[in-house]
Amino acid sequence: MLDFLNSQGTIYVSMVLGAVLGLSLYLPLLAGQLSLASPGFYALGGFVAAVMSTKTFEVKGSFPIHLVLVELVVAAVLCGALAFIVGLAALRLTGIYLALATIAFVEVLRVFTLNLELTGGAVGIFAIPQPFGTQLSYLWLAAPLLIIATLFTWRLEKVRAGRAFAAVREDELAAASMGVDTTRAKITAFVLGGVLAGLAGVIAAHQINTWSHRQASFDASIAYLAFVLIGGSRTFLGPVAGGLVLTYLPEWLREQAKHEFLPAWAAEFLRTGRFIIYGVLLAASCIFFPRGLITPELLRRIKRIGRGGSRPPEQKLRAEPEAVA
Amino acid sequence: MRLLFQKLLNGVAIGSVYALFALGYTVVFSILRVINFAHGAIFTVGAYITYALTGAAFGKNGQLRNASLPLELNFWLALALGALGAGVLGVLVERLAFKPLRERGSDPLLTLVSSLGVAIATVNILQYLFGAENYSFGETLGSMRASVTLVGGELPVVIRTKQIVIFAVSMVMVVGLTLLINRTRTGKGLRAVAEDLTTARLLGIDTDRLIRLSFFISGVLGGIAGALIGLAGSFNHQFGVAIGLKGLAVIVLGGLGDIPGAVVGGLVIGVAEAFVPAEYNAYKDAVPFVVLLVVLLVRPSGLLGRAQVQKV
Repeated sequence: MLDFLNSQGTIYVSMVLGAVLGLSLYLPLLAGQLSLASPGFYALGGFVAAVMSTKTFEVKGSFPIHLVLVELVVAAVLCGALAFIVGLAALRLTGIYLALATIAFVEVLRVFTLNLELTGGAVGIFAIPQPFGTQLSYLWLAAPLLIIATLFTWRLEKVRAGRAFAAVREDELAAASMGVDTTRAKITAFVLGGVLAGLAGVIAAHQINTWSHRQASFDASIAYLAFVLIGGSRTFLGPVAGGLVLTYLPEWLREQAKHEFLPAWAAEFLRTGRFIIYGVLLAASCIFFPRGLITPELLRRIKRIGRGGSRPPEQKLRAEPEAVA
Repeated sequence: MRLLFQKLLNGVAIGSVYALFALGYTVVFSILRVINFAHGAIFTVGAYITYALTGAAFGKNGQLRNASLPLELNFWLALALGALGAGVLGVLVERLAFKPLRERGSDPLLTLVSSLGVAIATVNILQYLFGAENYSFGETLGSMRASVTLVGGELPVVIRTKQIVIFAVSMVMVVGLTLLINRTRTGKGLRAVAEDLTTARLLGIDTDRLIRLSFFISGVLGGIAGALIGLAGSFNHQFGVAIGLKGLAVIVLGGLGDIPGAVVGGLVIGVAEAFVPAEYNAYKDAVPFVVLLVVLLVRPSGLLGRAQVQKV
């Protein structure tokens, strides 16, 4: 059993980090900001870890865990500061314009990390020291990060700051006229998303041992957006579920190729052509689950079943508009 | 001076294809107000179809090992058919990734993901069938000379024949598109739909047909751009990604949904790239995005666009 878990460790850790990245895109979206900048901060966090662990700290043998914590702090501060600047600059932009600006930000960052000596140029940074012996042990870092991020987002939606986000998301002008500091809400949401993506990057860099400019790609931007939209963009559980499921999907497809009853061509297709299926499923789930897999209605229904289903349906107090941003 | 002129020539040649490609985004955006992220994949398919129709063989890594078509069309015919094929793929993308969502009235943002899903599938089908190797058209086009020397001497100014072809084809397409939109009944319909989809439908315009048409036009433009850029260098299944992104910079620079803007934007980005000093060549790919960021921050409505007033 443990052997099996260990062999699957890489994918479990990636799934958990996928969920964190989904949340990192969900946070700005809470304040109505469609930001696709997460891969940029993710890459930056990873480079912080890669550079510090290979160049700053001289460690022999296993990499001590407290230094990873130091890297997490540095990455959080750096990504937060950069997100603050980018968020401030992008304040005027909304909707697709903001999305395009954040894509441009990721691309500029990628070209710089591709060319700077510090970040290892085209090949990137190799042999990043490992704090753990097995891949599965990385859950000791990734799982707490996901749990904290999830609880944080859950609580955030209940407190004043989170309510301000929701107000900005529903109607910025109305929110401003009610005395909500919309600038502050938008930037805070942006910074939270950036910090979270950076933290995920630190863990990922150690886990996959090598880090390069390829981590900051446009495809990643849209993949994380898919985590949120397909998981469900109206509850914090949506991006978590989306990140877990969509990260696992290509791996699951590859596993299926091992079944013996499959004809040779089908097994071959699952191995080398599995991203064709992934693409088709991505498009199909947009069509068949336009509001995502996990919607607030679904959660309400589950709650009602949990209570025995005797109560009449609750009266809807809050309207649930269709639009995401 | 001569060096400057040479750079300008190179920039205009590549910029004209950027414009062509970006027009594909623009035609769809002006009507649906969404960006078709499958446009880069359609671009790639255009290059592959054109390549196959010229009778050239594919490599040995895909499922279709060393396959080649039993016909050998000349480049122009292959280009035209490749463009048509890309146009048909454009319509298919609309049918699969846009129409079902539109009919259900779902969030337009979702089409970003659904069109990217189709793009991922398309690109991976190409890789599955033809492998991941680089392909290139031959050095010369039929019996044409490889290049023309405009100014001789120590620092010659040379135009490659391919650059002339790229520029000429792009300009013919741009002029054709402009005429189609401004001078024909169909163009009037497209403009009406772009102005207001619902009103156009109420007035009896077959909006679904025009949306399909816009995707077809977009696909044709993308396919030709793909074949032309493939002609200038080499291509593989991935090569739509980079231009797909540059195209975004071009349309933002020109103002989203603005046709003359996309042309100007394409030329500006092409020339700007060509003028990056050789020692900073590695940073060339960042140029369109730096431009994009600056434009978005300073003038979000684009170079030629009018500022949009937010209504309450």
